[in-house]
Amino acid sequence: MRSNNMVAMILAGGRGTRLFELTSKVAKPAVNFGGKYRIIDFPLSNCANSDISTVGVLTQYESILLNSYVARDHYWGLDTNDGGVYVLTPREKAQADFEVYQGTADAITQNIDFLDSIDPEYVLILSGDHIYKMNYAKMLGYHKVKGADATIAVLEVPMKEASRFGIMNTDKDNRIVEFEEKPANPKSNLASMGIYIFTYKTLRKYLIEDAKNKESKHDFGHDIIPQYIESGKNLFAYQFKGYWKDVGTIDSLWEANMDLLNTNNELDLADNTWKIYTEDVNALPQYIGPDAEVENSYITEGCVIEGCVKNSVLGTNVKVAKGARVIDSVIMPGTVIGENANVTRCIVAENMKIKDGAKYGHKKSEHIELVAKSGK
Amino acid sequence: MNALGIINFEDNTVEIDGLGEYRPVPAMVFMGRYRIIDIMLSNMTNSGINSVQVYCKEKPRNLIEHLGSGQRYNINSKRGKLRVLYGEKMFSSLVYNTDIENFRLNMQYIERDPNPYVVIAPSYFVYPIDFTTVLKQHLDTNADVTVLYTSTNEAKTSFLNCDVVTVDKEKKITAFGKNRGNTKNRLISLEAYVMRKSLFIDLVEKAANTSSLYWFKDILADSVETLNIRGYQVRGYVACLNTLAEYYRNCMELKHPGISAQLFKADWPIYTQTSDTCPTHFSREGTAKDSVIANGCMIEGEVSGSILGRNVKIERGAIVHNCIIIGENVIGKNVHLENVVVDKYAEVKNIDKLVGTYSEPVYVKRRDRI
Repeated sequence: MRSNNMVAMILAGGRGTRLFELTSKVAKPAVNFGGKYRIIDFPLSNCANSDISTVGVLTQYESILLNSYVARDHYWGLDTNDGGVYVLTPREKAQADFEVYQGTADAITQNIDFLDSIDPEYVLILSGDHIYKMNYAKMLGYHKVKGADATIAVLEVPMKEASRFGIMNTDKDNRIVEFEEKPANPKSNLASMGIYIFTYKTLRKYLIEDAKNKESKHDFGHDIIPQYIESGKNLFAYQFKGYWKDVGTIDSLWEANMDLLNTNNELDLADNTWKIYTEDVNALPQYIGPDAEVENSYITEGCVIEGCVKNSVLGTNVKVAKGARVIDSVIMPGTVIGENANVTRCIVAENMKIKDGAKYGHKKSEHIELVAKSGK
Repeated sequence: MNALGIINFEDNTVEIDGLGEYRPVPAMVFMGRYRIIDIMLSNMTNSGINSVQVYCKEKPRNLIEHLGSGQRYNINSKRGKLRVLYGEKMFSSLVYNTDIENFRLNMQYIERDPNPYVVIAPSYFVYPIDFTTVLKQHLDTNADVTVLYTSTNEAKTSFLNCDVVTVDKEKKITAFGKNRGNTKNRLISLEAYVMRKSLFIDLVEKAANTSSLYWFKDILADSVETLNIRGYQVRGYVACLNTLAEYYRNCMELKHPGISAQLFKADWPIYTQTSDTCPTHFSREGTAKDSVIANGCMIEGEVSGSILGRNVKIERGAIVHNCIIIGENVIGKNVHLENVVVDKYAEVKNIDKLVGTYSEPVYVKRRDRI
């Protein structure tokens, strides 16, 4: 742990049921994004770029791939002597029954021994399934200046959508006076991003109290934050400006990928001062064939394009054969699009084989079609 | 594999104009995202060689940065070792900067290595090779030295100034010579050798005692009578990157997946360092055909028959045809480039047209502004 004295804990246990087959064998944080990334690369790279050296990743649902992925901490340069990525799965303990993580807060409570061994002054709680770039060091600076017990990152959302989020009601100093989960009549449009900085000593006390409470759901938003507010602790909202996306559904995952095609997109993955790091694969640069047609697309290493690709995002080692058309789609790594196949407004999962002449999706479909079975 | 790997540097027959002024041959960008040395280093580590010494003729900065600890090439960070070595006092002297002198200056590292065999190869010949099969033949034939060679019928135009070998029926090498380009069919020495380490050390000493201008290949040529020197023919893809024109021609041929699959084989991975660049972005106006494009590029113009390295921006209306753009470049609006090699960080903006030929591509200097 370096001078900032803060440990990050990434909650990566979520299943992401609304992503259907994409998360049938992997947890949502491991889902592919933007051609070469996995969603969890974003919080992990943000940690590395914010000078956080110790990161715990709390996994639970279908965690084999995710555990081995995040354990390779050198992907994000986190393999330093004084830090590293720690995979924290539910485990059997000597003094207690084996329990899966009951809620976001319980996941941290079950790892209090881990946090104690590192003895941080601050704990940063993150979610493993959001796409954004954020400097957590600045948020910590704010937390210190405000003398806060807890700081919650918030994002301004359109008022008419505010009832879909956890909403923070603040006073003029950004002090949080009330928290409402999905309010029918929101009083503010400051939505919680699920990013918290806690002063560890206080948090530890509240977590242990909460664990004893049989009524509690052991969830940060539902239980811990209201407890903090009720007992008059110093809670502040830290306003984030920039790109942030919860890619919880097939449509929103597709949209976030499509945002990359906008040359002025705020996420700006080409910004060399805040790179998003990921696994490096041994693949040649992409090859665009003599008869290929490529337009308005985001294409990565290992791709071989012989057909037509428009308004699409292609993952590592995707092959698009002659005569094939890939339009308005996201093709995940390793997938082969056969000759004369037509894929429109689809997300095609990893390692699929789309047969020659097959047709998926429709250009006027209301929703994006998920293709997660080979064949047709 | 119980051998020490030595990646040797090239002698003065290799001269890649332009590109060669800024970095040694092994550190040159190759196929958009690789460096030339990645091929031979991956050959060695894929063969199970865990201890590799890279000898560097000059300008080691680039190479040291690229190679890192060797972890990326699957060298075990505790048991294995990747060393970049150079003969510090020789840097200023072109003539005296021989491989023999460099080996002697670093002899302690060679002697200390516990492996009984050495595998020596330069990086400017690129081909896939499993050294375990070479070592096996070496042991089976009771050879003192095994020399890798390739057979070509294009010796009039390719492999110029390379060493050639003459082999008898038993694959024993009876003579070394030079390819002056006057015969079509030649056996080209790949300057890659397998032998006992003790013999290697003896030959280095013998060379030094013979002449201070001797290279390892010279002492080997002197020894054809006294040593059992056998040939090992490398079949399949072999390219020699010894001039700018040959570098250009071979890269252009390697564009096609059918050819590149012979060098970058699925079961014989070529490793390199990642630079964590984002995927390449094609705008609505951008097009590409028959091209190899690394990550991080922004394509707003027209690219064809070209190889683009990382982070290249092709602006609107620009036409880039049959070019190698090394990396971190800007090709400005409406600029037309044909048969041009643009070195790293150069920006070509204030010129309408720059055209070379396939056999003589134009070279644009590193960091140049045109």
